[in-house]
Amino acid sequence: MPIKTWELDPNFKYEIMNEPGGEHLTACYQCSTCTLGCPVTEIIPSYNPRKIIQMSLLGMRKEVLSNADLWICALCQTCTARCPQDVMICELMGAIRRIAEEEEAAGNIKIESARPLFEKAFLHTLQKYGRLYDMGLALEYYPNREGSKIKGMKAMMKDYKDFGMRMFKKGKMGPLGGGGVFKGMLPEKIKEREVLKKIFEQLGEKEK
Amino acid sequence: MSEKKIAYHPGCPSATTAMEQDMSTRAVFEKLGIELEELEDWNCCGALEAEDPKLVIALNARNLALAERKGQDIVTPCSICYYNLARADQALREDEKLRAELKEIDSSLEYNGTVKAKHVLDVLVNDIGLAELSGKLVKKVNLKVAPYYGCYLGRPPETAFDDPDDPVLMDQLIELIGAENVPFSYMKTKCCGGPLMMTRADIAFEMARKILESAKKAGADCIVLACPLCGMMLDAKQPDIEAAFKVKIEMPVIYITQLLGLALGIEPKKLGLNKNIIDTKKILEKVM
Ligand code: SF4
Ligand code: SF4
Repeated sequence: MPIKTWELDPNFKYEIMNEPGGEHLTACYQCSTCTLGCPVTEIIPSYNPRKIIQMSLLGMRKEVLSNADLWICALCQTCTARCPQDVMICELMGAIRRIAEEEEAAGNIKIESARPLFEKAFLHTLQKYGRLYDMGLALEYYPNREGSKIKGMKAMMKDYKDFGMRMFKKGKMGPLGGGGVFKGMLPEKIKEREVLKKIFEQLGEKEK
Repeated sequence: MSEKKIAYHPGCPSATTAMEQDMSTRAVFEKLGIELEELEDWNCCGALEAEDPKLVIALNARNLALAERKGQDIVTPCSICYYNLARADQALREDEKLRAELKEIDSSLEYNGTVKAKHVLDVLVNDIGLAELSGKLVKKVNLKVAPYYGCYLGRPPETAFDDPDDPVLMDQLIELIGAENVPFSYMKTKCCGGPLMMTRADIAFEMARKILESAKKAGADCIVLACPLCGMMLDAKQPDIEAAFKVKIEMPVIYITQLLGLALGIEPKKLGLNKNIIDTKKILEKVM
């Protein structure tokens, strides 16, 4: 589909460059090194970080921000390490994702990915306990992703039934490995949770 | 290596999914006569889920400050914790305003940049050194090994401590203990898919499968790695990957500290070799 030039947003590139990680956007000269080495592109050929950058430079704001591909980057840093122009693509994609989340919170776009829900659930456990708490994370994430508690529990069981059994047998969770009957099932909490509360109050992403 | 005490940041998976990495790290350092002192009340580094760089810096400033108050460098066995600690350290060293801003949030976040954050592999090879390690080896481990480095040891350039395209630190340790590196360069630094596991398991599985099958094709007895997320994908999820693609892989996956521990003559049980999901018996048979 041809680009509708009258719908382009010439300020979009500056918006990205104002976000931490997005600073080097305009250094890109479209060589495609990033895409050629990307392990996700290898599996999903339509995934194209170079193109996301090109669209951003052109000002295709809405198309970029609502592009589900933003959320399948594996954060592997290969592109950042190889880019001859030091564009820091991995970080840049993060900057664009944060703008997309703000736009979604403002009701302007809909993000077609569960990744933001996962990140939120992760940060909630971190904020509450100071450590990652897998089970708490899963109990928040799956119902949100599936849209209901029951569906969430079903999806969670499907992913974790065999895996959980493996962990249990090896004593990595549960009573068999020492460390108590509920090892891995209850959160590990740090003492200075007050400090984390302050960090998240001041720096936590909007609405989290 | 002059410092005999280092602050230890085990990272969240050390309590559960990666407990064998934690056990073997502690056992190896004990054997080497270096005291790892667990950082009291350490917090999660934010992993790759805290996307806002400032949030990551604040979370890790607390850990860095805890180590700084003890006057100890900080070491972690997790590649992602390492990346976050190291980038926070760098950002804070360079940015006085940011330091002041964090101090304003809470005085416990005051960090003055006087300690270093390191990954266990870096400490073993670059600080302790191959010469010193070789004097302490008591067993030969006659294995064919696929050394798998993943993402954050050689990338991004700002925090990397090994080559981005052909890292060598684990290769060197593997050779040192008499094992053999199988040709694996093309897979060494390819992402395991871990960060996509919870949202796009289909892509993550495919990524992990490629690594596992390449190791098998290269004739490896096992994969050796240095990150708990890689361990989760390649070891703990391996049966799920086999089921999803209807393939048999059965590739043992162990941490570099477990392998080195064997050569140092440490009891397999103390190294948690009964905790890896894919059975490690075949590996133990090759320790002479
Ligand atoms: S590798 Fe760098 S310069 Fe080349 S297309 Fe990608 S971002 Fe642009
Ligand atoms: S960081 Fe993302 S875009 Fe870059 S190579 Fe890795 S998966 Fe691809």
